[in-house]
Amino acid sequence: ALRGTLRGTRPGTRPPPALRRGLAKAAGPRSVRQLREAEEAAPVFQYAGKAAKRKDRVFVWGFSYSGALGVPSFVRPDAGWKKPRRIQRTPYRLETAEKISSAACGYGFTLLSSSTTDIIKVWGMGLNKDSQLGFQRSSRDRGKGYEYVLEPSPIPLPLEKPQQTRVLQVSCGRAHSLILTDSEGVFTMGNNSYGQCGRKVVEDETYSESHLIHQLKEFDSRVVQVVCGQDHSLFRTKKGAVYACGWGADGQTGLGHYNITSVPTKLRGDIAGVNIIQVSSYGDCCLAVSDEGDVFGWGNSEYLQLASVTETTQVNVPRHLPFKIGKIKEAACGGTGNIVLTEEGNVFVWGYGILGKGPNLIETAVPEMIPPSLFGWSDFSPDIRVAHVRCGLSHFAALTNRGELFVWGKNLRGCLGTGRMEDQYFPWRVTVPGEVVDVACGVDHMVSMVKSFI
Amino acid sequence: VPVLGIGHGNKLLTDLYNCHLTRVYTVGGLFGKATDDFSDTGKLVEKTTFDHITREKLERILAVIQGTNHKALLLYSNIDMKTQEAYELAVKGLIRPMGKSPPIITGIRCLQFAPPEFQLEVHCLHETQQYLRKIVHEIGLELKSSAVCTQVRRTRDGVFTLDDALLRTQWNLQSIQKAIWDCQLKVKRELEKTLG
Repeated sequence: ALRGTLRGTRPGTRPPPALRRGLAKAAGPRSVRQLREAEEAAPVFQYAGKAAKRKDRVFVWGFSYSGALGVPSFVRPDAGWKKPRRIQRTPYRLETAEKISSAACGYGFTLLSSSTTDIIKVWGMGLNKDSQLGFQRSSRDRGKGYEYVLEPSPIPLPLEKPQQTRVLQVSCGRAHSLILTDSEGVFTMGNNSYGQCGRKVVEDETYSESHLIHQLKEFDSRVVQVVCGQDHSLFRTKKGAVYACGWGADGQTGLGHYNITSVPTKLRGDIAGVNIIQVSSYGDCCLAVSDEGDVFGWGNSEYLQLASVTETTQVNVPRHLPFKIGKIKEAACGGTGNIVLTEEGNVFVWGYGILGKGPNLIETAVPEMIPPSLFGWSDFSPDIRVAHVRCGLSHFAALTNRGELFVWGKNLRGCLGTGRMEDQYFPWRVTVPGEVVDVACGVDHMVSMVKSFI
Repeated sequence: VPVLGIGHGNKLLTDLYNCHLTRVYTVGGLFGKATDDFSDTGKLVEKTTFDHITREKLERILAVIQGTNHKALLLYSNIDMKTQEAYELAVKGLIRPMGKSPPIITGIRCLQFAPPEFQLEVHCLHETQQYLRKIVHEIGLELKSSAVCTQVRRTRDGVFTLDDALLRTQWNLQSIQKAIWDCQLKVKRELEKTLG
């Protein structure tokens, strides 16, 4: 009776809603049916749609104080807790306004270009003491220009049809740069003390804060590739001819003399009449590959780069290099070492320095093959091939068909991107969050164009 | 394929363990679900769509996993990278961590792909079942979806393959003796090659 009065209700009726136990459920483990129903009722999240496109990204690493990496917070921290970062040891994502189709690393500066029809097609960052990035107007003093550009800044080009012409490729040397367009020839900027910009040398010209961008149009046919050596420029045309201008003391212009050339002149020698499909240079040695798989070299040979054909240390006429290693598909030249890729996918190196076959191989005049097992080839994955080879001043890079990047050589100021500061004596994978499509090597930094996985 | 040692075989078992040979597993997975213990019997955490996943994308992810694990293999083997000896071992593919190390995958490939189910073959060192399930979960995350592991089956343990395994019906003295006799040579050869 006491219990009944405390309750205050007559037995058999339900308690009023306010007193009902609200969210409490039955205790005990849920049955399989309940679990399955709960699972089916759970919401489905979608992170990527069926037509999700892979995104294009740019990653940079190496020495940052020159501004060549394009991240201003490494040089001038924008928040109190950030410290200046002298060296970026691993790939760092760089945000770009457009999809970058071509990149080139010079000696302390970088050029990025996109094949868009917008007004702004080329961005530059890094050293600008010789106006190799064009005139970058300073926001503080409107008459002066910046000597160091810390962020990718647009380079205005004097195009006749800016909304139709596309920029195909860019290339950077020590203090000059070349920009190749599809219909308006080649634009050159930067230092011209040796005629490397393709125009007459003006005595006592000041190159810093210069607005001058020279345009080169007179070649036998359309220019399809531009390459910058340290202080010279090479142009390859559609007909397979090679033109050169600039410093020639090591014979790197290949024109038969050791003087400077200020007008692009056609090369003769062993490549006269040969259809050249690729040219490469970065220091003072040059290599050219013909459509039949032969390789020709000229320029500096102090490091045994051309010792297979001659004892002289300067070769000023292109010479055929009779290597019996198969048909050659691609070649790249560095400061002291050279690398070629054959049709079968084998990589051969020669020259001086850390060549990639362990610390014992310092120099060789004859190409030595790097075993494919170092690039990930094994019985488990036998279809891995090297697709491209690139060369910086004292390091090498190789891209496989699976999109992996391998680097080796001298680790100057962290340019290898492995995360360690030691030199690498055999090919080592660089961990990049994406599939590497192309890479550009400089003296102490590298830039790579990457596609995301999904 | 669990390996058992009898009598003097126990000593051989420790030697085999010190060889640090790889094991091969067949791992089955299912896209679209994520659970707390990475297998399909756990508590559901999230459900996602998976219609954007193709075999090509999966193989791309697997290639990257193999690449980063190959790098880990070289790093944990405690050999100085600057020596000629390190270069030679790397060329032959014989660099292996000879001491304790976190689980490393030496090879991974896709055997079957029928969304939402897929099957992988994984060659690994020093692994645990939890690690294999975690790999499946991480593959799901990389593909911007989620995955759970439905099946783990060991098909090779060092030198012992499925062919050497005895069926349940063969668990009698004669078959066991014959199996020991057959495997003795293989084990001896492997121990000599690795431990010198």
